[in-house]
Amino acid sequence: MKFKILHWFVLLWIVLLLFQYDVLLQYFALWFSYVKLVFTDLSGAFDILSLKLVDIILSVKLFIVLPLLYFVFRKKWTYLQSKLSFSYALLLLLIWILVFAPIVTNENPEFSKNLSVTKLLPPFSSIKFVNLIGNKGEALNEKESFIQQVNTTIKPPFNEQIIFIDSIIISESIISYQKGQITELQKEELLLKDGKPVIENKFFLLGTDEYGRDNFARLIYGTRISLFVGFGAVIISFFIGIILGFIAGYKGGIFDTSLNRFAELFLSFPVIYLIILILALFGSSLFSVIIVLGISGWMTLFKIVRGEVVSLKQKDFFITAELIGLNKSQLLTKEILPVILAPVIVNLLFLFSNVILAEAALSYLGLGTGNLYPSWGAMINSGQEYIYKAWWMIVFPGTALVLTLFAVNSSGKRINRLINPRLEE
Amino acid sequence: MEIAIKNKFTQISQPTATQTVKALSKRFFSSLFTLFLLISLLFILIRLSPGDPTKKFVSAQLSPELSQKISEKFMLNEPVIEQYFAFLSNAIKADLGISYNYRQPVLKVVWEYFSFTFVFSILSLSIQILFSLSIALFVSRRKNKLLSKGISNLSLFVYSIPSFVLGVSLIYLFSVVLNVFPISGLKSLDHDNISFIGKILDQFRHLILPLITLSAAGTAMFYKYIKEGMDEVLHQTYVLNLIASGIREKEILKKHIIPNAVSPLISVAGIELGVLMGGALITEVIFSLPGMGRLTVDSIFSRDYPLIIGCVLTAGVVMILANFLADIIKIKLDKRLLKGLLN
Repeated sequence: MKFKILHWFVLLWIVLLLFQYDVLLQYFALWFSYVKLVFTDLSGAFDILSLKLVDIILSVKLFIVLPLLYFVFRKKWTYLQSKLSFSYALLLLLIWILVFAPIVTNENPEFSKNLSVTKLLPPFSSIKFVNLIGNKGEALNEKESFIQQVNTTIKPPFNEQIIFIDSIIISESIISYQKGQITELQKEELLLKDGKPVIENKFFLLGTDEYGRDNFARLIYGTRISLFVGFGAVIISFFIGIILGFIAGYKGGIFDTSLNRFAELFLSFPVIYLIILILALFGSSLFSVIIVLGISGWMTLFKIVRGEVVSLKQKDFFITAELIGLNKSQLLTKEILPVILAPVIVNLLFLFSNVILAEAALSYLGLGTGNLYPSWGAMINSGQEYIYKAWWMIVFPGTALVLTLFAVNSSGKRINRLINPRLEE
Repeated sequence: MEIAIKNKFTQISQPTATQTVKALSKRFFSSLFTLFLLISLLFILIRLSPGDPTKKFVSAQLSPELSQKISEKFMLNEPVIEQYFAFLSNAIKADLGISYNYRQPVLKVVWEYFSFTFVFSILSLSIQILFSLSIALFVSRRKNKLLSKGISNLSLFVYSIPSFVLGVSLIYLFSVVLNVFPISGLKSLDHDNISFIGKILDQFRHLILPLITLSAAGTAMFYKYIKEGMDEVLHQTYVLNLIASGIREKEILKKHIIPNAVSPLISVAGIELGVLMGGALITEVIFSLPGMGRLTVDSIFSRDYPLIIGCVLTAGVVMILANFLADIIKIKLDKRLLKGLLN
């Protein structure tokens, strides 16, 4: 029996269901009460809506709908029956993480508390924490109770109601230790159960970084940033390359020469210098990085499209289409694109890996998407400072990056071989 | 009959001296035009950037007299079009103002750091070509399908490793765990007190990890090109003819396969130099080496705009020059390319 892509999806789905069923249940409850809120208080429901909330609700929805979708479309989605290779498996896993990041981990990647205890913990370490009684207040209406539910489900970047401790002594008074620092906790402040404070454990699968943030959550959300930047930049490059290539090939003459020269200028330049210059002049943020990387990657696509258009425009079917009276955009989308789709897709995949690499490199240099989002490159950069103490800060993001690039490159190679069967003979 | 055909063939293929000069000058002028485009692009970017564009040349860090001098030189108080021509002429004169941090002409600062990057890149390029060629030769001599496939997969994997991941891992392995190579920099603390040969050895020891980091991806890429070229040549009928004629395999490899397989390498080498300079930038940052890449990154964090522009322009000029040289070498090897240039 061969291992199909479908089996891989089923496996991923079941693993997520088994390991994260509690998270899923919480998100379900959230979704359910949001729907309830929409029916009772529509304007309030819109006020609350945040990116994080939309993200969670959408991913849970998709998670449930996915099996149903398969049963509806199983005749159409034939590619699910094709054989799974290592690189495809990695690529699909990445896309899976991209879509279901909030289900894979419900930790906030920016959460940090009690640095002295939580910073630079090795992988598979767990740390105790006690809960404080917060003044929650009574929920007056549907909206407020929903907000309370959101606050317990979506982890905020800071939570003052838990205190991480190394050890605790419970006698007359409660004494906790935090790296040699002794604190006396008041019994009235603590959340008690049978007269004893509730002590829970927090588990860090891949350890923590220098600010006590969960490495695993950062890695998962870093996947999102990497792939998001990759997709965004590739789409920009795609449009620039296709349109300029079409203009150059179709019009010819002065357009052709000047655009070619321009492409050669970009090609013959160490692009990272140009990217750095632009980011230095215009400031670096998530969107400026995407735009700059998109602008700096269109050249090879341009060359492919231009070459194809030059040869296609003498073909009969193209001339007929012209005579029928199709306009330029119709000519491009209906006559040219279907013919050149295969080489373009391969090129886009290689471009995608280049962009991911460039984003990570920029983040490593400190010019990336900023501190707002966790990024693999920035994680490696901060790991280099702690190289004597914390190997896990480098190894995991580094491995993730290498595997991602390998998966994309080797998928590109595979698809290339599918398109040109004579390539490997 | 045979001789007649040969003569005719040589007559067609040998370009005249005037043709050569014409083609080369054409190539030269197109390089110049690219340079002009690059400088214009830089100027446009500076003008488009947010904030006062004239503040990109002078800052409060410079003395008032110096600022005055620079703003006169770059005509910062004149209309944009005159600023553009001033920028162009100054760039051609290799005068890009004064670096804020170093309080020296930009070119002088860049030159100090550029020499390191140049030596570093050339060393890495030779390592890449040497290693990839010998591995490709080794693999094609063995004629082992499994080995060939394994190495080609390995090369793709090595190519996928970003230089900074490789560099940091190497630092961890060799400097932290094994403690055999220094962690960063180019000189040991006692560098000034050791003998001349000791100095060279010391610098060499510091350069081993950076060179591995910089060369790995390039070696994988060159290997791919050489291997593909060799495979292509190996399947040509003339090679089959040579084998059938009983010529020794070594001779075929040396005289026919390698020269034909290596020629696409040179055109790649031009582009590869761009990759190399970008890679050198990151490698220099990882190992904190005194090169132009680190200078660029440092100048960004200190908002030293003239220095950033100077670094970018230098990188561009080097690339244009390298591509020009690569083209000349290509023409030297394959005269047929001249025709392509002339048309």
